[in-house]
Amino acid sequence: MRNMIQSGSIVVIAEHFQGEIRPVTHELVRFAEALQEVRPTGIQILVLGEKVEGLAKSLAKTTGKDVLGILAPQLTRYNGQAYKTVLHEVLREHPPAYVCVAHSSRGSDFAPGLAMRMGAACITGVSSISVQEGVICFSRDIYGGKINADMVSSSKTTVLTVQPGSYGPTPKNDQAGGKVYLKSVVVVPQASTTLSTTAFQTSDLDLSIARIIVSAGRGIGEAENLQLIRNLASVLPRSVVCGSRPVIDLGWMTYDRQVGITGAIVTPDLYIACGISGAAQHAGGMKGSGFIVSINTDPMAAIFNLSDICIVEDLMTFIPVLLEKMAEQRN
Amino acid sequence: MKLLVCVKQVSESEAAITIDPASQWVTIGGTSAFRMNRFDECAVETAVRIKEQFPGTCIHILSVGPERSETVIRRAIGMGADHGTHIVTPSGGFVDPSILAGWMATLREASGADLILCGAMSEDLMQGQVGPLLAECLSLPCATAVMHVKIMPTGEDVQVEREIEGGYREVVVLQLPALLTIQTGINQPRYPTLSNLLRANKLVLKTLHADGIDAPPPLQGVKQVTLPRKLREGVFLEGSTAQKAEQLITILSDRSFLA
Repeated sequence: MRNMIQSGSIVVIAEHFQGEIRPVTHELVRFAEALQEVRPTGIQILVLGEKVEGLAKSLAKTTGKDVLGILAPQLTRYNGQAYKTVLHEVLREHPPAYVCVAHSSRGSDFAPGLAMRMGAACITGVSSISVQEGVICFSRDIYGGKINADMVSSSKTTVLTVQPGSYGPTPKNDQAGGKVYLKSVVVVPQASTTLSTTAFQTSDLDLSIARIIVSAGRGIGEAENLQLIRNLASVLPRSVVCGSRPVIDLGWMTYDRQVGITGAIVTPDLYIACGISGAAQHAGGMKGSGFIVSINTDPMAAIFNLSDICIVEDLMTFIPVLLEKMAEQRN
Repeated sequence: MKLLVCVKQVSESEAAITIDPASQWVTIGGTSAFRMNRFDECAVETAVRIKEQFPGTCIHILSVGPERSETVIRRAIGMGADHGTHIVTPSGGFVDPSILAGWMATLREASGADLILCGAMSEDLMQGQVGPLLAECLSLPCATAVMHVKIMPTGEDVQVEREIEGGYREVVVLQLPALLTIQTGINQPRYPTLSNLLRANKLVLKTLHADGIDAPPPLQGVKQVTLPRKLREGVFLEGSTAQKAEQLITILSDRSFLA
């Protein structure tokens, strides 16, 4: 059986869902290219699943990289145990220097365990690469994005999960496509089985048509205070009220209004972040907005690093004053 | 059933955080409050609900951290857990998550548990690694970002729903013993009851010191910590609340957002 993985290379694990390559895979390729600039070596993409031949071919064409498609007939759905077992099997003979995985729900599910099986360090949620004193550093957010930590690995192989939204998609490949290698594996039964993948919450609410999004975070304190956010939205034309994850978790708003990596990715002309800390999870869902205004009591809140206008105020004080002033000006 | 729940103490999200002079790590402001990581609170709540459903279930709490972390173990017991172990670490500094998981795996309460619950990540370091690594140390099947847990009637399996992007969930069945990491939103954690808290405060916790546990060399470390790069040149509005409101109206109006 041919194995095209080379020792010391950079391996990208493609993420796919319902027969399609997830956009984050292209960000992983961009990340791998950035890593290649500081650590010259080959890049290979690995795609694992039941019927991935087509995906492997299309990846090789769109990225120009060599792709190894691992055909696992038993792997009809994503399963963490199976992913760890198969990837470890494929990678252990020629350990790559880096394994790049999406910092998505699935990537985060298998990456740490895979790293441990390979004796590799695992650095999660990486947003950029730098070289300091000759050492390659992987930058990640800590403390809700208030602080940035540059991590270094001391192991031969390092597994990295890359924060979605940190690297743009790969520019369209106009060179020749990469080579496609295929390998079949048998997945032995695992201690866990994935039964189904189901759409849990869907809605007809189309956030893309909103020109303005007024978004509430944990800083609103009480569910009743949401009314204040709604009042603000009511005087802003073509606006919609949304929220960050904590507000949805608390059941104060429905999931279809959740902005962030695990919710909706929005790009309105104006985004007003009310009491939102601005951790990567949320930032990834709104940082492409045209103009960003943030209101937060904490002057160190990470949201201010991606805002055009920063207002250090308590929402409960500020919004009523703002509404009053707006009413005065209208009259 | 024997459950182990791993909990971490974190600082309040509004805590004043400064970078230490050597840029090696952060210092939390002296007056800042600490509390239980929210993801872990949801894990404790999940465990207590299992105990209510299966009488005879025993919940053990484990926390790794400096002396002050003891309070989160007592809070978890106040919520309905039975007992707790504290692995005491020296305060401050970064510890490789694979070493943390290695320490935790040495406990009899970990290797003997039918189900281990962790938070999906900590709010401070946001690595999401200790749970999956602990599972690996103990050769347990693992599911992360869990939004629903159901112990099957035979008591041999657990069926869970994992949250994935785009409003989808994956339904996974794991053979017990297994490890789950719990996502926020799965439940609303209860407040401790007074009677449980009184019992928690009297309880003598199992304590051991991290430096007494054998561990392999770390695989990763921190080169430096910095303030994040600004993605936009944010203008901080100055003046009174009313003045800030007036400035904002002008800015929004100039950009035709009020039209």
